[in-house]
Amino acid sequence: MYEKREMTFRVFRFNAQSDYLPAYKRYDLTVSKEEVMLDVLNRIKWEQDPTLSYRRSCRHGICGSCGIKVNGRAIVACKENVWQLAELYGEEMVIEPQDTRLAYKDLIIDKSRFWESYRAVTPWLEGPVEEKPQKEHLIEPNYAEQIDEADHCIQCGSCFYSCPAAAVNEAYLGPAALALAYRFSTDVRDKSHANRLRAVNEPGSGIWDCVKCVECSETCPKGVEPLSKIFALHNQTFEAGVHKRNVATRHAVVFKRSIEKHGPLDEAENVRYSEGSLGALRHMREAFAMLRRGKLPLPGRVHKSHNHSEVKTLIQSASKNKF
Amino acid sequence: MGTPVHKFDVVIVGAGLAGCAAAKTAQEAGLKTVVLTKLHPLRSHSGAAQGGINAALSESDTASHEFDTVKGSDYLGDQDAIELMTREAPQTIRWLEHMGAVFSRNDDGTIAQRPFGGQSHPRACYAKDRTGLTCLQTIYEQAHRAGVQFLDEWYVGDLLYDKSSDQAYGVVAYSLKETEFAIFNAKAVMFATGGYARAFGINSNAHANTGDGLSILARHGLPLEDMEFVQFHPTGLAGSGILISEAARGEGGHLYNSENERFMEKYAPSKMELAPRDVVSRAIEKEILEGRGVGPNKDSVWLDLTHLPEEIIETRLPELRDLAITFLGRDMAKERILIRATAHYSMGGIPTDIDGRVRSGAERKVSGLYAAGECACVSIHGANRLGANSLLEAIFFGRRAGEAIVQDIGQLELREAIGTESDRLSGEVSALLRNNGPDTVHAIRTDLQQSMTRNAGVFRTRASLLEQKAYLATLRDRFSQMRVGDKSKLYNTDLQEALELGHMLDFSAFIVEGALAREESRGAHYREDFPERNDERFLQHTFGTMDPSGKIALEYTPVTLGRHTPQARTY
Repeated sequence: MYEKREMTFRVFRFNAQSDYLPAYKRYDLTVSKEEVMLDVLNRIKWEQDPTLSYRRSCRHGICGSCGIKVNGRAIVACKENVWQLAELYGEEMVIEPQDTRLAYKDLIIDKSRFWESYRAVTPWLEGPVEEKPQKEHLIEPNYAEQIDEADHCIQCGSCFYSCPAAAVNEAYLGPAALALAYRFSTDVRDKSHANRLRAVNEPGSGIWDCVKCVECSETCPKGVEPLSKIFALHNQTFEAGVHKRNVATRHAVVFKRSIEKHGPLDEAENVRYSEGSLGALRHMREAFAMLRRGKLPLPGRVHKSHNHSEVKTLIQSASKNKF
Repeated sequence: MGTPVHKFDVVIVGAGLAGCAAAKTAQEAGLKTVVLTKLHPLRSHSGAAQGGINAALSESDTASHEFDTVKGSDYLGDQDAIELMTREAPQTIRWLEHMGAVFSRNDDGTIAQRPFGGQSHPRACYAKDRTGLTCLQTIYEQAHRAGVQFLDEWYVGDLLYDKSSDQAYGVVAYSLKETEFAIFNAKAVMFATGGYARAFGINSNAHANTGDGLSILARHGLPLEDMEFVQFHPTGLAGSGILISEAARGEGGHLYNSENERFMEKYAPSKMELAPRDVVSRAIEKEILEGRGVGPNKDSVWLDLTHLPEEIIETRLPELRDLAITFLGRDMAKERILIRATAHYSMGGIPTDIDGRVRSGAERKVSGLYAAGECACVSIHGANRLGANSLLEAIFFGRRAGEAIVQDIGQLELREAIGTESDRLSGEVSALLRNNGPDTVHAIRTDLQQSMTRNAGVFRTRASLLEQKAYLATLRDRFSQMRVGDKSKLYNTDLQEALELGHMLDFSAFIVEGALAREESRGAHYREDFPERNDERFLQHTFGTMDPSGKIALEYTPVTLGRHTPQARTY
């Protein structure tokens, strides 16, 4: 304990009122083994440079204020031990806001789009509230547990500002809001289950615009695993029968069919079924390129995996929904 | 151009449990309500509460919840308020549950409850070890649903108050984003600004808990009650002071000193580790003072959970396990962790009646001013708060304050504010930005916090308190010349910290004066030179008021007693 280490931090500095371009300012610090990244920010501000601005409050990973990026990775500063980060990145680190494009003052960004997404998923339990209830709802532990940590989200934005889909698609609600949608759609007390699912089922903004890169679940500091909630919402839309026939749902259907039928994927058929025969024509260039390299079996020539019957049994036992 | 004046029916400062509960109630009654917070509502410190929220869900337990609270308060709690809150606690919890709170459940689907310190029955309802988070999310969600307007990142720095008519009619604030001033003019003003334990060196509180609301009122000559009572929670992580919830002991954690004794045997043989917080904190600090501490500086004791099945830790205390790993590098499922007492909760605060109406004296109330939650002193907690009563108090009295506002609003008239009424706050800000002395915010704050822990902490004496009183005067002098290094208008957090420090210096003087005059030991206030409780002289609430020079005058008002007459408090 109380060991020390010399480290260097290059911190993103920007003032939207006076600066045309951001700059990275260097601060050298001796860091002890117990310190977290928020200690580093505090010590820079308190000991070296009072002009540094960042958000912070609780100091122990529950209020979600101090989301930043270190070497491009989203963290909650008060939850990340500096020495452990040094194992990954060495003794020189770059500290940036969650999204440099949204920087307002140093590490403080304009989070309005993040909160708009929050507000867009009807973030409250729907139904009448009894003002002086004599009894609680009875919810057995196994039902209660289906919320599966989705209620643990602290709205730090780590997932949202790591999500490549949200970065390029302004309309996309993003992982935090979708996990919140799941938190309510899975709550047996909620009276708006189908409406919630319809809302997140919209192409462009909803669950089908996730690109399944797993970045959100990797970066979440609270174990919410937003991706697993987005997958669960996919299933819920089918279960509730609110899914629409569109390219995303057809893709899900044909994906399953292909595996059931062959084992491997029938890529050509996947595209044809998802996008329709005409739509598939748009992909002819890629198709020929793949064919040339042997990456695309011809339609009808997909080989069957040798333990195909096992695959089939697995699919059947895992299928909860009828397509 | 004058400062813009925004008009509302109700303006609420602070968006934690109390503020949101009141806002929801007022808005649903059709009142135009705005909530100002220097954070985002979901960042409020209510969300950090870990262990539980009390309610006697079985009817046979109600009387003992009431008694445990009275006894826990060392008989300084007002029994009318305690009786009311404990009686209505079950429906309050179930109201939260109906609004969506995700409580942990028993196998039959009812809300699960766990044991907590100082309690005769397991009655702390919980959501794993993040009970505050689910409560805060739920009440914010429902206030938002009701249409309450929330303004994030607005710093409230002054109250609009007319002394001659004893009436409050708004607040002055500025946006942290751009340092733009505004006046929020309203018929009813409510403070729900949280606690003040940040004045101490080792504390469990968020950076935001600087008690601004208290000194904002005190600077207008309004009283603060029982400020000397600050709870030191027994189990803060060594070094950071970050809280390890009482749930750790509730689930069976043991405390050991350097000689491997379960030392609570000496201090509270029947309750052991589950004695109330003041008792356990003093025991820990005594062990350390007498040389039986552990850790590299011998300034901690062990909290041991390794005898519990790993599954219990994983399912009921996952957040705590994570905290000890982050801040100590120790896994509590496998090894003991280092803890010591940490300043945690403010029993004192803005005096209110049981409906959240703020008192301007023992018998008088301010027209149009309300307070609830940790910043208020009803008083439920008296000299020491029982674990898992704080969330309950915040939500219960927050809601009641909202109901009182709805009830009173017909009689309250909007006293028109004018643009120049922001001058006090803008003047305070310009002075801070202009001063160019040698000290930084950080230097003075650190000296304040360390000296408060040393001289006005777990153990106090006349000498230590006199020393602290004199020291506060020198800190105040240094503060008057202090330099704020950031002159920018955008998110000038250095300026914000400077304003907050000014408030901390002001209310700290109330803590010290109250403690100096209270020549007895009661609950969390322990005087080594007066180790006994003295009901004859001090079964009374302290009311302190500050004059413009910063001098504090004290008077005492009687405690509301009830069916529980004071007895010796042993565990």
